[in-house]
Amino acid sequence: METSIQVPTVRVGKREIDIFPFWIALLLGGMAFGLVGVYQVFTQGLQVTGLSNQVPWGLWIIIDLSSIALGGSAFVFGVIVYLLRIKRFETVGKLAVLLGFLGYSTAGLVLLFDIGQPLRFWHPVVFWQTHSLLWEITMCVVLYLTVLLAELLPIIVEHPAFSEHPLLDRFRILRKASNGLHWLAHRLHKIGPVLAVLGLTLSLLHQASLGATYSVLSGRGLWFNPSAPVQFVLSAMGGGISLLFFLSVVVFRMMRPNLVKDDVLHDIARIAGGIILLCIYIRVWDWAVTNYYSFDSEVALQTEMLNSISPYSTSFWLGQVIFALIPGTILLFSRRIQNFRILTAAAILPIICSVLMRWNYNFSGLIASISYDPFTPNVILNSYTPTWQEWSVATFVICFWLLGFSLAARYLPFFSRSHAHPAGE
Amino acid sequence: MSENHKKTDQTPEKDISRRDFLKVAGAMAGAAGLTHLASLGVKNARGSQEGNGDGPRWGMLIDINKCIGCKYCTYACQAVNNLSDDMLYNVVTTETTKSGTEFFLSRPCMHCDDAPCVHVCPVGATYLREDGIVTMDYDLCIGCRYCGIACPYDARVFNWRKHEETSSRVPEYGVPEVPPRPRGVMEKCTFCQHRIDNGLERGLVPGVDPQATPACVIACPTEARIFGDLNDPNSPVARMLSETKVAIRLREDSSTSPKVYYIPPQEEQLDLRVEEE
Repeated sequence: METSIQVPTVRVGKREIDIFPFWIALLLGGMAFGLVGVYQVFTQGLQVTGLSNQVPWGLWIIIDLSSIALGGSAFVFGVIVYLLRIKRFETVGKLAVLLGFLGYSTAGLVLLFDIGQPLRFWHPVVFWQTHSLLWEITMCVVLYLTVLLAELLPIIVEHPAFSEHPLLDRFRILRKASNGLHWLAHRLHKIGPVLAVLGLTLSLLHQASLGATYSVLSGRGLWFNPSAPVQFVLSAMGGGISLLFFLSVVVFRMMRPNLVKDDVLHDIARIAGGIILLCIYIRVWDWAVTNYYSFDSEVALQTEMLNSISPYSTSFWLGQVIFALIPGTILLFSRRIQNFRILTAAAILPIICSVLMRWNYNFSGLIASISYDPFTPNVILNSYTPTWQEWSVATFVICFWLLGFSLAARYLPFFSRSHAHPAGE
Repeated sequence: MSENHKKTDQTPEKDISRRDFLKVAGAMAGAAGLTHLASLGVKNARGSQEGNGDGPRWGMLIDINKCIGCKYCTYACQAVNNLSDDMLYNVVTTETTKSGTEFFLSRPCMHCDDAPCVHVCPVGATYLREDGIVTMDYDLCIGCRYCGIACPYDARVFNWRKHEETSSRVPEYGVPEVPPRPRGVMEKCTFCQHRIDNGLERGLVPGVDPQATPACVIACPTEARIFGDLNDPNSPVARMLSETKVAIRLREDSSTSPKVYYIPPQEEQLDLRVEEE
């Protein structure tokens, strides 16, 4: 069942041209542009950003939160493949692990630029402050990135270059290194269930804590909310699995036909659809609690002022409710719909929805904040516009993600030869 | 003396004890929601412990009726801490009472007993000293700015740029007394802890002797600010607080227990008295 990779091509005149090198060149160009911003941020500090003391978290935090959320399929499929041992998802599970690794390394990368003292990025690992959600998130992300690396290594090592490359016979040390890697990969594969449980625990902890980062702050009315952690976990699962479905169609259905059955893809869509609908159910109740059942005048004023300067309500109803409700329903009934064009188009919306939810969550509390005036407390409107340096760094990390994904989509051996033997041992 | 004051249980330099380890292991075993509850639990437990110590507990009382909005407190603070003009630890704003009368509200750091910025700091760079001062270890801070987001009083200030020149408030309002901070860390008002610590070593009384009292208190021309030990009934701040029946604190709704008290404007005092009765 060896599969060939069909690369996307463009027909120019009579010739079929492989667009892959051009795509990679474009991404490298994007990263080069990004390096300009990276250089400025490192040499001049965060004064080059549009951030202020009133809006200290901006575009980069959205990228950080979103890339972690969109890596959310890794822990779900880690459990499905390595713990529940559902074999038909094994190939897709590899893609999920890859997306998780890319998401978390992108998040780590963007945080490096976002903190004021980049050289002290390791401080939370050494100087523990166990009451801080941000400390817990940092530890979880560091540990989970290790888990993801342990899950990813066996997949990468399966590439023929690690066992059949001519250089391996030329230099004995390379052969030894290759053998060592294979031994390690085998061991790591064996402890798959342990890694899956670890991944699940760490993911649930920090995905929830990312919501709690905002919602424990009692001084900010719009954020102070007990359901945010649940919403963040569910939206990460929904958005992450939607992304997995979308990219599975690209990597498997388009580039590697016959490797993954359509049924499996339909199942992924159904899982995503179910979780998206569950998430939106909780989200709407949460909306009702804050807006309808609550008589907190400050929260009402905050919402009103947000609406006056931004499409806050529109982005909620359109971006977070409609973009979840319709595609959620479509994905849930993917077996009946069958049409992959509709399904992939529908899968894009929950991804946008997950990002938009984080955008709204972060900025709602910062843009319209409550003053400390004792007698006539009011809502202060702050403003934030990302500078080109911020967009430049954003381009850098997004191109980094895309580059990692593109190279993997083309070269990663998703078809497992060494584990093709009857599994379960 | 200053050694005792240096750190509280928040200090990261202490060994990571077995208790800490078990706490973390327990947290990891639980669901994410548990961490939320745990953090609230710890918050409450800590809040009740505050103020029972034998040592001093520094606090401030600001009489809004005396404040004329001259901003000398802000300028003195900038001179002593060597801040650039756009960095303010201490802010004076014009606010209104319920009936619309304008008054000046000057706001240093509230030095909350239950400070949100202390709870959220991922590395323990912001910590609560035993004497109640919320201060910073600038060598630990990674510049994540979570404390700025958590603070309900907007009191945290980020050091956006490398600050080389001397503050424009020097020497008119004072001279720099503390070492410069690196670019990219969060800064804050420290109640001029260096003055308090040095003063106590020399046998001075903070709040009474000018050399041991925060610069903003000394700079105030109308003596609207009173500083001292809240635990000592004879300190000026404690005496004034017991005389004033209507002292208020800002944002009581976020249960941060600030140690900066305000005497509200006269007309609001009447309202507060009516509410009490």
